[in-house]
Amino acid sequence: MNKAISTRLTFAVAFLSLLIFIILWQVIAQQGLLVKNFPGSFKTIGSLIWWVSDPFFDNGPNDLGIGTNLLISLRRVLIGYSLAVLVAIPLGVLMGMSKLAQSSLNPYVQLLKPVSPLAWLPVGLFVFRNSEITGIFVIFITSIWPTLINTAFGVASINPDYLRVSKSLGASKSTTIRRVILPAIMPNILAGMRISMGTAWLVIVAAEMLLGTGIGYFIWNEWNNLSLENIFVAIIIIGFTGFILDQFFGFLQDKFDYSI
Amino acid sequence: MNKKSSKISTSNENYSHLELSNLGKIFFKEKKFIDFRSKGNRSGFEAIKDINLKIEKNTFVSIIGPSGCGKSTLLNLIAGLQAPTSGKIVIDGQAIKGPGPDRGVIFQNYALMPWLTTIQNIEFALNTVFPAKTKADVKERARKYLRMVGLEKASNKFPKELSGGMKQRVAIARALSINPNMLLMDEPFGALDALTRSYLQDELLSIWRKNKVTVVLITHSIEEALLLSDKIVLMSSGPSAIISEEISVDLERPRDREKIEQDPNYLKIKMRLEKHLLRETRAVEEVT
Repeated sequence: MNKAISTRLTFAVAFLSLLIFIILWQVIAQQGLLVKNFPGSFKTIGSLIWWVSDPFFDNGPNDLGIGTNLLISLRRVLIGYSLAVLVAIPLGVLMGMSKLAQSSLNPYVQLLKPVSPLAWLPVGLFVFRNSEITGIFVIFITSIWPTLINTAFGVASINPDYLRVSKSLGASKSTTIRRVILPAIMPNILAGMRISMGTAWLVIVAAEMLLGTGIGYFIWNEWNNLSLENIFVAIIIIGFTGFILDQFFGFLQDKFDYSI
Repeated sequence: MNKKSSKISTSNENYSHLELSNLGKIFFKEKKFIDFRSKGNRSGFEAIKDINLKIEKNTFVSIIGPSGCGKSTLLNLIAGLQAPTSGKIVIDGQAIKGPGPDRGVIFQNYALMPWLTTIQNIEFALNTVFPAKTKADVKERARKYLRMVGLEKASNKFPKELSGGMKQRVAIARALSINPNMLLMDEPFGALDALTRSYLQDELLSIWRKNKVTVVLITHSIEEALLLSDKIVLMSSGPSAIISEEISVDLERPRDREKIEQDPNYLKIKMRLEKHLLRETRAVEEVT
């Protein structure tokens, strides 16, 4: 099949499926087949247009534009996530290189990794007494594990040939780390950072329901208003933002793909 | 050289370029972090033992032996990438303590950094060995060595864009760019097809003629060893491999791969090597 035709066909099929979905949703909601007063797709699309056409208004913390809330969430994620990456990469390199570091840190990593980051929320509130910093702290905890583990794994499984070349040239440890190990494990680091970002974006919504402001709080607020269509609007926007973030890392991963 | 100058010159003249004495290497199993099964027994694997070998300056020496006989271990020891369990490695009268830029190492899988272009791979070696050199100097020198292996046009290509033969030529250029006086090659042409291998063997010979270096080559191939070497070192089958024989290859240089095969001397050595390798390989295969 011709590539251009096949792309066009893919789009056509996707569009058709969306159309069918919207119609089915509307019919099911209108007939009350699910529950009474379930918002239909037309109503949801209407409120999506309403929210998106004026995204940045600010009428106090319980009445913010969806764009404003989104930016609040994104800011928390980016700060917590960046701090986590800054800690996770050096720590991961250390764990990958040193048996001592690996042995002493691995038990904590293995114990803490499976814990839902939300469990740290009360700890954050108690220590920082500030919901903003607590949000960032929860995202920090969320983001650290995948990047840390992937970095350490990358270092531990690095092609020994690169290290032998470096060693045979008499390179110092710092040269080897900067010029050989870090570039060699870029694919691992980026894979870890991609998972970290994905999880951080999942967790921020849940955390914000408890913290106030942000896109997660928007959902909680609309639940209190019993406005399910606005919750659907938020779901669509969260999904779309998460998709863009993920694609960005996909693009970076392609850039640093050394495989043949 | 007259008598007087030989007296003044350093005592290094009395040494062979490389001397291995009673060299042995035992690999001990390393305990993994979470590994409850192995209870810390230090039973080791003796790869090589009692290796004694002298290699003269600017000669070409091949080390040949059955698979798994510890040839690569021996080369890693000479390169300083691993420390011997026993014995000594002396280069120019000095016991080595680790790797150094006096020895250029070439690996079977080329070991080029995939995130660097061809020329950057060479520049990395130069920057590491000569940190004082200016950027322009480094670039110029890297270019010179790429030209030497005929790859100047590929200087901005990434390794994945090159064929296996081209990659190995870059690796040779990288190893020589740091101006070593010894080249250590670990089955450098093993992964290449027959034609490319022949081409690179000729290339290596002509490079070796122009850049005076001592070469230690690990190989599987009897023909390769015969074509290239002044001396062939035969290793027994492992574990605990030893050097079973040293054979001088007194064939005239420059050698031509077609003509050399007619030489009765060539055939005599070849038969001897084949017999040895067959015997040692049989020893390996029938044990396992």
